[in-house]
Formats: sequence, C-alpha cells, structure tokens
Amino acid sequence: MEAVLWYVLTGTRGGANRARILRTLDERPRNANQLAEELELDYKTVRHHLDVLMDNDVVQRSGDDYGAVYLPSPRAQSNWETIEEILEGME
Amino acid sequence: MSIWVDVARVASAVNILLLLALASVWGRNYLQFRSKHPLGLLIFASFLIAQNALALYMYLVDPTLSGWFNTAVPVIVWRLMMLLHVFETAGLAFLAWITFD
Repeated sequence: MEAVLWYVLTGTRGGANRARILRTLDERPRNANQLAEELELDYKTVRHHLDVLMDNDVVQRSGDDYGAVYLPSPRAQSNWETIEEILEGME
Repeated sequence: MSIWVDVARVASAVNILLLLALASVWGRNYLQFRSKHPLGLLIFASFLIAQNALALYMYLVDPTLSGWFNTAVPVIVWRLMMLLHVFETAGLAFLAWITFD
C-alpha cells in the first residue's frame, strides 16, 4: 500500500491534487461537488481523481450516485503515517 | 542496412521523448513535495535519458562509431539491440499512461 500511495500521490501528474483531495476528505467526508468547490477544481477533474483513488483503494464511497460521499478507505487509514509524511512535504 | 537499425533508432528517440515527459512530471512533483520518492523517479529518468542519448549518438552522430554500427555490426546484434529498445519503449509507454492518468 505504501508504494501505491507514493506513486499515486507523488509520481503522477494529478498527484498534488489527489493529495489535497485526500487531506480534505480526512477532515470530513464530502461528495464530489463539495470537493470541487472547496478545492476550486473542475467537477470532472475531481471525479476523475476520485475514480483513480478508488481504483487504488485509497478512498471509498459511501452511498450511491449523485449524493455519494467519499472518505479515506480502511487501507488508507491504516497507512495514514505514510500519507502524513507525503502531505507534510507539500508546499 | 536493414530495418532493424531504423527501428532501434526510432525507438531510442521515442524513449527519450517519453522520458522527458515523465521527467517533467516527476521534476515538478519533486519541487512540490520535496521528498525522495519523486526525486528517485527523476534520477531514474535522467539515467535512462543518458542511456538512450548515448545509443543515438553511437548509432547516428559519432563518425567512427556510427560508421562501424552501419557497416560492421551483424544483423543479429541489431535485432537484439532493437528488441531492447522496443521493450523499453513499451515499458515507458505504459509508465506514461499511469503517470498521466
């Protein structure tokens, strides 16, 4: 899981925004719309990042379709030190 | 000379372009995250760029070496070189796909 987190968050073009998304979801679960607003990103961009994060089991979705909120997956939570380390280096 | 030579040259040139694109992503991420992971990827890309640039230099530019590669190198060697370069292109293309996703 650690290697996946490092690659998805620091090895890819969208990594920095994925890291911001993950940090925001850690504060509290949100849906794609709220994320887009909070982070001033395009809704479609947010959806794409969420799909990548879900594919890699970094976030999970609770609920269906439009209103679904996203939150860090259990795997991400059990590796939260790695995520902290990545986020600390940012900016 | 045979087609193997041209394929090897084109593949190394494509490798360099793919690596430059990857290095630009990893370099930018290194500046943003300041961590050893993107730095490691950047170093990996730099060395592979050097390797492919050196290959192109030997195949195309250096008068002695390119002359030798064009006339004295047996076809079997070219086939194997081409295979190496093409495998690398396939690997880098896949890496680019996940990196730009």
